[in-house]
Amino acid sequence: MTRRTALAVVAFAAAFLLVPSTAVAHGLVGKQDLPIPRWLFAWAAAIVLVVSFVALALLWPSPRWQRTPERPLVRLPRLVDPLCGALGVAIFVLAVYAGLAGNPSANENLLPTLVFVIFWVGLPILSFLFGDVFRALNPWRAIGRLSGWLVARVGRAAPPEPLPYPRRLGYWPAAIGIVAFVWVELIYSGRTDPSKLALLALAYAVVQLVGMSIYGVDAWSRRADAFGVYFGLFARLSPLRWTRRALHGRRPFSAAAEFEVLPGAAALICFAIGTTSFDGFSLHALWTLIAHSLQDAFRGLGLTPGTALQWAFTIGLLGVVGLVYGFYRLGIEGVRTIAPDRSAGELAGAFAHTLIPIALAYVIAHYFGLLAYQGQAIAYLASDPLGDGTDLFGTANAAIDYTWISATAVWYVQVATLVTGHAIALALAHDRALALYGATQAAVRSQYWMLAIMVGFTCLALWLLSEQG
Amino acid sequence: MLVLAHAGHWLAQLAYLAPLLLLLGMLAHGRWRARRESRDDEADE
Repeated sequence: MTRRTALAVVAFAAAFLLVPSTAVAHGLVGKQDLPIPRWLFAWAAAIVLVVSFVALALLWPSPRWQRTPERPLVRLPRLVDPLCGALGVAIFVLAVYAGLAGNPSANENLLPTLVFVIFWVGLPILSFLFGDVFRALNPWRAIGRLSGWLVARVGRAAPPEPLPYPRRLGYWPAAIGIVAFVWVELIYSGRTDPSKLALLALAYAVVQLVGMSIYGVDAWSRRADAFGVYFGLFARLSPLRWTRRALHGRRPFSAAAEFEVLPGAAALICFAIGTTSFDGFSLHALWTLIAHSLQDAFRGLGLTPGTALQWAFTIGLLGVVGLVYGFYRLGIEGVRTIAPDRSAGELAGAFAHTLIPIALAYVIAHYFGLLAYQGQAIAYLASDPLGDGTDLFGTANAAIDYTWISATAVWYVQVATLVTGHAIALALAHDRALALYGATQAAVRSQYWMLAIMVGFTCLALWLLSEQG
Repeated sequence: MLVLAHAGHWLAQLAYLAPLLLLLGMLAHGRWRARRESRDDEADE
C-alpha cells in the first residue's frame, strides 16, 4: 500500500463519515442518546487506527519497546509477600465457605458476584493499573509455597526437585482453563448455584496444587494456572511490577514484548478475546436464531431442552473462539506473504503479545457496565457474605446506584477503551516488526495485515456491543 | 419479505464490516498490482 493509497483510504472513510445518519439506524440509537449511528463509531475507530498506523510508519523508525528498563520505587518488608498470600487464602476460604454454607440465591450469596464480577472482571483492570496483584494474592500459590517451606523445614531429607515443566504443554492448560471457566460462567446450568461454584473452586485448587507439586510452584503458576497466566498477561501492560522485596516502576505497555513465547501463546490470548466475544455475541439476535436451530437439532437427538441448549451454547463458544483464532492466523498468513522466510507458527508467537491490549480492551468494554453496576453489590455482599442477615461492616443494606453513570457515558468509555487498546496493539506490532525485519519499509509492509487484524477486532467488538444497552 | 422489511437493521449490521472489507480490498488490490508490475518487468527484460 503506497502512501497515496493510505491517504485515499483515510479520505474515503472520512467522506463516509459526513453522510448524515439515516433511518436505518433507528433500532440502534434508541437505547442510548448518541448523536450518530453506532456503526459510524466503528468507521471512526477504523480511521483512528489507520491514522495511527501511518503515524507509526512515519515517526517510529526503530524498535523501542523490546526491552523494558525498570527502577525500584519502594523496598518491601519481608513479611508483605506471606501476608498477601495469607489474605488470598482467607478470601478463598471465606468465598468457598459462603458458597457451601450460605444462601443458595446467587444474588444473596457472596461467591457468584465475587467470582464473576470482582475476580473475573475487576482483577484484569487492577492488574493493568497496579501490576500482578493476583500473583501476590494467589491462594493456591501461597498454599503451594507454604507446603514447600514446611516440607523443607520439617523433613529430614531435602524435598525432591520438581520435574521440568514440559515445553510442549506451553500455555495450553491455561488456554483451556480460560475457555472452561467461561463455559461455567455462561453455559453451565449450575452457574447460579453457589454450592456448585464452591465445589468447582475447590476442584480447581486441587488441580493447581497437584500441578505445582509436580512441576514446581512458579513454573506451574506462570504457565498452566489459567488465572495466574490470564491476569499476568494484563499485568504486563502495567507501569508497576512487584517482586518479593520491592515495587518497581517501568514504562507502561512495553513489558508485553517480553511475554515468553511458548506453544499455545497466540491461542491463549485469542481464546481470551474469543470467550469475551462470545459473551457479547450470545446477546445478539443473530445468535438467538442460531442457538434455536442448534437446540432443535440436539433435541432431535433425544436431549432435553436444557441440555440441548447447553450443547448449542458450547458449540457457539467453541465456534467463536475458533473464529477469532482463525482470523488471527489468517492475518499472520498475510504477514508471511511479506516475509516468507519465517514460519507462520513463529510469526504467530512473535506477534501474540500484541493481542494483550486488545484482550484487555475487550474485557473493559464488554464488562464495564457489569462492573460499574453489579460491582457495587460487593458492598452489601461483603457485609453479609452468607446472605443470612449478618451485617459485619454496616453496609448490608446498601443498594446499587444505577444513576451514577449513564448508558451513553458507558458507551463512550467502551469506544475509547477499544480504540486505545487497538492503537497500543498496533504500536506493539510495529515495534516487533521493526525488531524482526530491521528495515522500516519491510516492517511497515508486514504490518498492513496486522492493521487489518486490528481493524477487524475493533469492528467486531463494536458490533458485539451494539446490541447491549 | 421479512428480510426486506428489516433491511435497515441488517444493513446497519453489515456497516460494521465495511472498514475491514475496504482495507482487505485495498490490500488485495495492492498485491495484485505488485504482481502485475513484476510480471511486466519480467516481460520487459
